[in-house]
Amino acid sequence: MTGTAWRARAIQIGFVVVCVLGWIYVGNARLISPIFLPRFDRVMTELLRIVSNGTVFVYLGVTLFELFAAYALALAAGLTVGFLIGRSRFWVAVFEPLLNGIFAVPIVIFLPLFILFLGIGIESKIAFGATYAFFPIVLNTIGGIGAVDARFVTVAQSLGATRWQMFKRVLLPAALPVIVSGIRIGFLIGFFSIIGSEMIAGLDGLGSQIVQLGEGMNTAAMFAYILFVILIAAILNTLLSLLQSRFNRVAAAS
Amino acid sequence: MNLAMTDRAGLRLSPGWVRAGIVVLAVVAWEVAGHTILDPEFISPPSAVIAAFPRILADSDIRHAILVSFYELLAAFGIATVAGIALGVPIGLHRFTLRSALPLVLLIYSIPQVTVLPLFVLYFGIGPASKIAFGVSHGIFPILLNVVAGAQTVEPAHLKAARSMGAGRLLIFRRVVLPHMVPSLFSGLRLGMSATLLGVILAELYGSQAGIGYYTQVFTNSFDPAGMFALVAVLAVMAIILNEIVRRAERRASFWRVTAR
Amino acid sequence: MAFAGDVAITVEKVSHAYLKGAQAGLLQTLREVSLEIRRGEMVCLIGPSGCGKSTLLNIIGGLIQPSTGVVKVDGRVIRGPTPNEIAFVFQDNTLFPWSTILENVKVALEFQGVPATEREGRARTTLAAVGLKDFADHYPHQLSGGMKQRASLARALALQTGILLMDEPFAALDEQTRTYLGEELSRLLAKTGKTIIFVTHSLSEAVFLADRVIVMTARPAAIKATIAVAGAHPRGPAFMASPRFAEQRNELYALLRDEIEKTVGGLVGEEPEEAAPPMLAEQRG
Ligand SMILES: Nc1ncnc2c1ncn2[C@@H]1O[C@H](COP(=O)(O)OP(=O)(O)OP(=O)(O)O)[C@@H](O)[C@H]1O
Ligand SMILES: [Mg+2]
Repeated sequence: MTGTAWRARAIQIGFVVVCVLGWIYVGNARLISPIFLPRFDRVMTELLRIVSNGTVFVYLGVTLFELFAAYALALAAGLTVGFLIGRSRFWVAVFEPLLNGIFAVPIVIFLPLFILFLGIGIESKIAFGATYAFFPIVLNTIGGIGAVDARFVTVAQSLGATRWQMFKRVLLPAALPVIVSGIRIGFLIGFFSIIGSEMIAGLDGLGSQIVQLGEGMNTAAMFAYILFVILIAAILNTLLSLLQSRFNRVAAAS
Repeated sequence: MNLAMTDRAGLRLSPGWVRAGIVVLAVVAWEVAGHTILDPEFISPPSAVIAAFPRILADSDIRHAILVSFYELLAAFGIATVAGIALGVPIGLHRFTLRSALPLVLLIYSIPQVTVLPLFVLYFGIGPASKIAFGVSHGIFPILLNVVAGAQTVEPAHLKAARSMGAGRLLIFRRVVLPHMVPSLFSGLRLGMSATLLGVILAELYGSQAGIGYYTQVFTNSFDPAGMFALVAVLAVMAIILNEIVRRAERRASFWRVTAR
Repeated sequence: MAFAGDVAITVEKVSHAYLKGAQAGLLQTLREVSLEIRRGEMVCLIGPSGCGKSTLLNIIGGLIQPSTGVVKVDGRVIRGPTPNEIAFVFQDNTLFPWSTILENVKVALEFQGVPATEREGRARTTLAAVGLKDFADHYPHQLSGGMKQRASLARALALQTGILLMDEPFAALDEQTRTYLGEELSRLLAKTGKTIIFVTHSLSEAVFLADRVIVMTARPAAIKATIAVAGAHPRGPAFMASPRFAEQRNELYALLRDEIEKTVGGLVGEEPEEAAPPMLAEQRG
């Protein structure tokens, strides 16, 4: 199992190395105009520069602020609504198809509305990110509670559990892993939708910076920013996976 | 999920009707608010949105925009489907390709696609090509990964039975492996359809001179919320219809999975 | 039943050890099994769980190559699946759930290489023969367990082979259905004169169906004893009520008891981690 995991990791690293080598080769051989593909070393120096002089962190700060604000809203709303609905099978049957249906429509088509209502500043980004992050959280909360093994519920009922006891002692603990995974997905979706909304209509933050550099034909700097965002996404994702697996282990142990 | 289905029979008040009631109530509340507290420069009541439909659909530019978006979506979905299957089948079928190629697919899938959206425009231009390419980049992964997952579900007992009856490699693929992959392929198509739509619209909103995404911005900038809502509604309806088609196909293709056992 | 007397299947000193898996090579499953089965004979294989009955059956059918020894059918050495001579009925439901019963049988004929024009007619005839004429267009999940097993039987019969290998085909069924299907099989046997090897865990089923019951030892399996059962097919409830039936059933149990004790006793005493599979298998059956 771990052998396979290591193998997979090695293949991935090898692939990245090959890509970088190919990139360097293409740059040296001048096969592609540097406007389309800037030289690898130029992008790296640019990346080092924006990291060392701190400019990138200013933009990162804006984006992260939007993200955390959006996430706090989504978390509060998603968990509250999810629990309220999830506690009753009837309301699950009413709302789950509705929420699923809305989530199947790409919410991004409503982005112009967010801009229209809230302006081009950070408020529209926060609202947009919160909307997107809300759905996986609420759907997984409902789904997690709904998927609890019916035998547990029957046993608890036969032991005379009240509705609240049932919720606290049976439904919630059994559903937590699914809920936690929704919380994680919500965070990542929130992050990507905030970057996206900054790109489409934004003045500040990483997404808007990438676009502005692209429009100024400063492709090397744009690549540097894109790489930075990919790195941040990878780091956030890894952290969340670690948190999730630790959480699941703790939950399993208790 | 199927909880709702089993529940429905036993409940007096059908959740479907309650759901419909809630939707109606929301629309009515919006209508009332539209005439009283909301600023008509920013939001229009549903009646105004409905009234805007003929106006919008009469405009040949907008009709064209809807067609362009639809064409981009279908092209992207078609390419994503063909490529997803063409890559997914060989990857899923053999242990060697699975072990060596799947990590690469997952690696590429882990890149947040929205960050490279400007690159798609840089490489494919501002026309439909970049929208289609970006749509493909979103739609291909769910399809590919579901095809791969489907290949893993093949029942060893079925393989053994087919072998005992004299089936060769080709027949085993056609009659045993392929049927096993179909239900999972259709879940992939459903997810892929949603993802493709997301990709196409993202790219349209990001920069274009055609398509629905472009006109939503035009309406926003000219403070015409009714027109804008109507256009968004057209898009949403398109999304819902396409989604429903694929969902139906999925249910039909996997009937034996749902009811088996 | 009068035997033609000539030998249909010869198993010569077949040994087998599974090479893959955790205990590679250690897991000797069959130990020098030799066996002759006459044409038209019905042989039941019975033995403790996990002793190697399925393995032996798969080797005879050419699905597994033995480590040493050979299997011959009509004097020819078996090197792979021989769908024109041997058909299987497996324990677990191996009907394709995405196809109707009729399609299932037709696909089997396609696998066997029957021309497309003949498939439909042959499939329908065989389904009628097992009493599933009206269920041809049903999917497996729409049938009861007994009907599903009948459909599996139809699929094997449609191949029109001289030999039928059945691996606990009725194990998943309730006792009444199982007894009834046993009677049906006995009628079929009388009519077609097929050579059948039938693996079972049921003592009654073995005595009821077999011309000869072969008792296997615990793993690695060898042949412990053979019991000949007199009485022509078709056999019915009267056969089951006879004192001879009960006698032979008890005789069979006495033979098996030692072996089961060997398996279970040994496992409980020394190798607790291996105790699980036989117990589970028993519950299944
Ligand atoms: N593919 C395999 N790889 C490794 N070991 C196997 C394999 N198949 C079976 N075995 C082992 O070989 C032994 C005999 O298996 P087999 O299935 O032939 O037993 P059986 O007599 O049919 O048992 P049962 O009555 O439970 O069906 C068992 O101990 C089993 O664990
Ligand atoms: Mg067996």
